[in-house]
Amino acid sequence: MKLIVKRKKNPENIFVNIFSLSVTMGIAFLIVIVLILFLSKDPAKTIRYFFIGPFLNRYYFGNMLNSAIPLIFTGLGIAIAFKASTFNLGGEGQVYSGALAATAVCLALPEANGFIGGSLAILAAIGVGAVLAGLSGLFKMKWGTDELISSFLISGAVVLIVNYFITGPMDDPANNLLTTREIAKQYRFMQIFPPSKLDISIFFAVLTAFLVFFFMFYTHWGYEMRMCGLNREFSRYGGIKVKFYLVLPMILSGSFQGLAGAVSVMGTYHMSVKGFSFGMGWNGIAVALIARNNPLAVIPAAIFFAYIEAGASAAMIHSDVTFEIAAIVESIIYFLITAQALKDFIRYRKRRTE
Amino acid sequence: MNESGYYFPVIHNAVGIMTPFLLAAIGGLFTELTGMLNIALEGLMLIGAFFSVIFAASTGSLFLGVLFGIVITMFIALIFGLISLYLKADIFISGLATNLLASGLTVVLAFKIFGNKGVILFKNLPELPSLNIPFLQKIPMFGDIFIGHNIFVYLSWLIVIIAAVVIYKTPFGMRLRGTGYNPRAITALGLKPRNYQLAAILISGFTCGIAGAVLTLNLGAFVPNITSGRGWIALVAIYLGNKNPFGIVIASFVFGFSESFSNYAQGATKIPADFILAFPYIITVVAMIGYSVWKYYKENRKVF
Repeated sequence: MKLIVKRKKNPENIFVNIFSLSVTMGIAFLIVIVLILFLSKDPAKTIRYFFIGPFLNRYYFGNMLNSAIPLIFTGLGIAIAFKASTFNLGGEGQVYSGALAATAVCLALPEANGFIGGSLAILAAIGVGAVLAGLSGLFKMKWGTDELISSFLISGAVVLIVNYFITGPMDDPANNLLTTREIAKQYRFMQIFPPSKLDISIFFAVLTAFLVFFFMFYTHWGYEMRMCGLNREFSRYGGIKVKFYLVLPMILSGSFQGLAGAVSVMGTYHMSVKGFSFGMGWNGIAVALIARNNPLAVIPAAIFFAYIEAGASAAMIHSDVTFEIAAIVESIIYFLITAQALKDFIRYRKRRTE
Repeated sequence: MNESGYYFPVIHNAVGIMTPFLLAAIGGLFTELTGMLNIALEGLMLIGAFFSVIFAASTGSLFLGVLFGIVITMFIALIFGLISLYLKADIFISGLATNLLASGLTVVLAFKIFGNKGVILFKNLPELPSLNIPFLQKIPMFGDIFIGHNIFVYLSWLIVIIAAVVIYKTPFGMRLRGTGYNPRAITALGLKPRNYQLAAILISGFTCGIAGAVLTLNLGAFVPNITSGRGWIALVAIYLGNKNPFGIVIASFVFGFSESFSNYAQGATKIPADFILAFPYIITVVAMIGYSVWKYYKENRKVF
């Protein structure tokens, strides 16, 4: 089936985008309020904590920004893959295994210099993520295996294997929790907003977003990658090595997922806890969608997502709803965003199915 | 299970375990034939699993429980379909949204109703009726495969046959396939491809509702995210089964067997449980890659 994809001019009017986004957010929050009215015995209190909870004190506010850090990385990773019309659904496994790899390197080198050992740990995390996602890209390149499903399934297996290492060989015998031992002091990122857990890696995350922006829009590779994303057949005709750009975006995407894992270990948790990174991979997809795959827009989108989760956990602590209410809000936002951002995405998907 | 008199308990269990895969994959086949990648199978199954066990426990009737479960699953499928088709959302993203909604909604409601986010046991659930004919059970292979399963297993086989008839022998099925093959031809007939796609999504909601019910009613409990990737594996079963109902039966059996075998290995060997749990994923990924390699070489031979 050959569909001729007509490319409409997409007016990149930022005000139109912001307006349509705020309508989406408005509807989503309206649904949340209705949901809370139905679920909570004291709706006024719950709603109050849901919306202003994250701003109540330094601790909540800092933690909210802190939980945006891994989302910036996962969001960037997904945005790169989407821009090239490849799909990486294995974020969960890549973040989790990246975290484990970073922890393992830090634990293996308890006496090393903080900078060298820390760099090694981050590289290990990036490497593991890149290999896991790169495999799906490689299979796609070689035999046309759908990378969307293969990356998800590989991730599903990897999550369980990481669980085994955290609860088995690397488990800390000193406590009854399902965690590894703590990494040494010199590997921990500096905290900048006590008493919250916000650490210095937030600057690193913002810098990375700018670097990805530069890579995508101002380098040769980035240009060719976007070309392949827009129209693979045409790019091939133009002499671009199309097959290479099936693997590269997946490798980059996986690297950022792994990095997210390393940052959450070295910045926030200081160890690997069973299941601690669950949701970061999926939320990265939502962040990339809200940001419309623009690396700079990933930063506010990640903070927005962190806000919803912080609101939900504040409402959980101070009132009587559960944290999973955040998942419902997020799913509504997914629905609304995609119903809106359809023009860009229908283009992508049509090309995929051709 | 040896004391129950089967010659190959691993195969007998595999036939039981494959049922949710089979049901979800048959529903997914309909959407696949209309040209949509339906990744919402996972979430729809979860909705079906949650609501059917709750209604079965509160009404005391299996039939009513499954019926309500199916109705609610089809309702969620309807929302998913309307947003995907009529608001022209990307089906992949709205599928992800459906999965997320399912996992959030089931936990939030479980907490609201039972005050508990973990495993919820239902003690007064009626037992699943099953077909037991002891002397037929003794026949090797035949008995292992056909006898002694619960009613859902036989229902799923019936659904496969009905699906095959609908897809290949009725005008509806032909138009359904036409929608995927060439939507413009359907439009030229004066029909709307979208309506057939919506019908396919509703059918997948129907089968996923039953598939979910199989999981929880068999277990007598609801566990958060009880589907644990089965919807995705069902998606792979559609491809491995070459988009053919009977091919899907074989593919589902392979996955059922790998899970049954890993249950067996868990008891019989010292392999850590997490590795064994990862086994079905690994089998699925290997099978999927193998299929694409086979297809790749087959198609390339045609070219040269």
